[in-house]
Amino acid sequence: MAERERIAVTGLGLVTSLGFGRELSFSRLCAGERGIGELSLFDASGLKSRIAAEVAGLDVHAVAPQAEAEDWSRSDALAFLAAREAIAQAGHTPGSALGLALGGTTGGMYETERALSAAVPRNSTPHDARRLLDFPLAVTVERLARALGNIGPTATVCSACSSGTVSIALGASWLLSGRASRVLAGGVDGLCQLTFTGFSALGAVDPEPSRPFDVSRAGLTLGEGAGCLVLELESSARARGVPIIAFLSGWSVASEAHHITHPEPSGERAARVLAQAIAVAGLEPSAIDYVNAHGTGTIQNDAMEARALERVFGPNVGNVWVSSSKAQIGHTLGAAGAIEAAITALSVNRGLLPPTVGLERPEAPALRHVRAPNQSARLSAALSSSFGFGGACAVLAFEAPGAEARRLSGKLTAEIVISGAASYGPSGVSSGAESARDLKRLETPPAAAPEPLGLLDPERSRRFGRASAIVVATAERALHDAECDPSTTGFVVGSAFGDVERSVRFLQKVLGQGPKFASPAEFPQLIASTGSGNASIYLGLTGPCLSVSEFATSGQSAVSVAISLLELDLASAMVAGAAEARDTIVDVVLAADGARGEGGGFLVLEGLSSALARGRVPLAVVAEHRALRAAPERAFATLPPPPHRACIVAGFLPPALSSVLARSTWGEVRLHSLPALLGQHEAIGAAALAMAAGEVASGNADQALVVSADVDTVYITRLCRYEARR
Amino acid sequence: MDQSELKSRIKRALLEELDLRGRTEADIDDAAPLFGAGLGLDSLDALQLAMAIEERFGVSVPEGEASRDIFASVNAIAEHITRTKAG
Repeated sequence: MAERERIAVTGLGLVTSLGFGRELSFSRLCAGERGIGELSLFDASGLKSRIAAEVAGLDVHAVAPQAEAEDWSRSDALAFLAAREAIAQAGHTPGSALGLALGGTTGGMYETERALSAAVPRNSTPHDARRLLDFPLAVTVERLARALGNIGPTATVCSACSSGTVSIALGASWLLSGRASRVLAGGVDGLCQLTFTGFSALGAVDPEPSRPFDVSRAGLTLGEGAGCLVLELESSARARGVPIIAFLSGWSVASEAHHITHPEPSGERAARVLAQAIAVAGLEPSAIDYVNAHGTGTIQNDAMEARALERVFGPNVGNVWVSSSKAQIGHTLGAAGAIEAAITALSVNRGLLPPTVGLERPEAPALRHVRAPNQSARLSAALSSSFGFGGACAVLAFEAPGAEARRLSGKLTAEIVISGAASYGPSGVSSGAESARDLKRLETPPAAAPEPLGLLDPERSRRFGRASAIVVATAERALHDAECDPSTTGFVVGSAFGDVERSVRFLQKVLGQGPKFASPAEFPQLIASTGSGNASIYLGLTGPCLSVSEFATSGQSAVSVAISLLELDLASAMVAGAAEARDTIVDVVLAADGARGEGGGFLVLEGLSSALARGRVPLAVVAEHRALRAAPERAFATLPPPPHRACIVAGFLPPALSSVLARSTWGEVRLHSLPALLGQHEAIGAAALAMAAGEVASGNADQALVVSADVDTVYITRLCRYEARR
Repeated sequence: MDQSELKSRIKRALLEELDLRGRTEADIDDAAPLFGAGLGLDSLDALQLAMAIEERFGVSVPEGEASRDIFASVNAIAEHITRTKAG
């Protein structure tokens, strides 16, 4: 097993309800101050709880670049402030490239809601509806990339309340694989009515400020904010001579596959994720001095988490300091994992422990709760843990800057292969080889597809929206072909906009009839990670399960993220792709762009050695999969010349890129343009990947090139037949 | 509203609000338990049902343990609605 370098944290940025900036946030946090007050951003009358941890005094117009001031959301501004602070501390300049991984759950939902509440009284016209698509989750990364300059690679991830944690693990992967030499990783979420009324409907919000781990706790307090970390290899930090704040030594991402809102009560799964992060760090549980817990203040989470900690630390649990920061800064959802990672890094750096405020009678007295303010302690190693909806668990391990260097093993899976593929189109679900047949029938109109929900067990899929049904039915077929072990398989699904129609229906009821008519069963189906949560539970996948968002290249981004998680050895196999369902609002807004369809595609990816060890001949080898954010005119310049038997499968191929392709060495190769066959939708690139895998697997081509683009990004994927890969 | 009409409306609420695809009013027995073994419903369904009863019938359902008896069966829900409206 290869050795790996340590990852240094060289910059931190924080915006919380306790203040702008890491020093103000951290000092007030350690002092035990609460940043919770009466909700002012929107009307919550009729709800039992009307308090929140708001970031007061956030002036979006003052933060945003002047030309974009009208377009920025509160989330964009929160993320930018945290990013700028972290970058400044790290001494990073745009002279070198910066990877950007951001986690979040709702993006500009607050602004979407304002547009919706303006449109509700008048019948919404397409012009009004367009505003509802102006703030997809991925837009924050786009805005930050423009504002900061020289950004890449990028990813927007959502794994519910562990989103910020997962983005940091993804950043670690980019550094160890060499995809990036410096990374800004973090999370952001602004308060909005969707989450406020949704959590209230679930009975998960305490009318009083939350009291994590207390016997009298009655739910969480929602908050908003952003946290960002600059990460780089230790050698890079030493060479630049910048101070190392802490080491990011370990990480773990996995899923419970249990329930869309309830944690698995025994804490068994959460304990395994905690233990894995400690093991990745090369440490024993006895080396951990402090755990910044998820500690939401809900009955179920805190009880589960206490059990998990007792499982991991055993009789030594009384030696490990534990606290939750959420009683002071609220539960900031997709930002929480990143904010708390920054807090944990500062804790080990300063030897200072933030307390759990409001904790008077601990439910789990065996735990060593931090209760006094400004308590100092010798802290060598600490964990920051996140346990989100849909069972999305993620844990990070940090060590003090003076931690002794030791050998760290890091297996980097080198060659990635495809061991299963399936697509969904007008004729329903097709597995890899059938997809290839579909390509041959380009001109024949397909028979009507069965309803996607009809393909699934009605009881276990009863809350699924159409998009989730397509996702799960298609992924199920791809998994069936791959025959991999679900307990070590993860899932990454791309979605451009989420379920807009269903979210709007939920919000119209809230805005029209009042906040208490928010639907508790609908709410968990509306957050951006619902597709991966549903898939994990339905398919029993307990590897890392998350969603990504990147406009019409969301499926391509999902494959990139899945490959990074495989390279980090967080799963033995990853299902990755995207699907989009018909959506009346998206269709109305985007109909001008051409005939709309629905569908998508999924690949099962794994390391070549893993496939061969299972006795599987891969359907195809992923020879390359890369994103170009700039200079599309050079997109095809580095490709090797095509073999005699080759094909191109194109998702969205803009005319300018099409002519660049025509002039390249691949210009004469036969090209299948999927939008012509399947209609235009944002997962067309994912369908192209699955169909290309089918072309190669069925022997129609020795190599298949997949090209799919959106406005700012072009993805090139080259698949080779396994036998012909050299 | 007579009791059979009320029970029919309760069953429609169950089918629509809890996404019980592939089931009809005839599949739901007036006296059979709704939770546990019955229709395979969970606590998320209980929350949804409480909101739906308030929205559709103008009758609120108490939270927590108190709702358990009310959600025992279609008969019990009908009785709660009738009693609350009469009171």
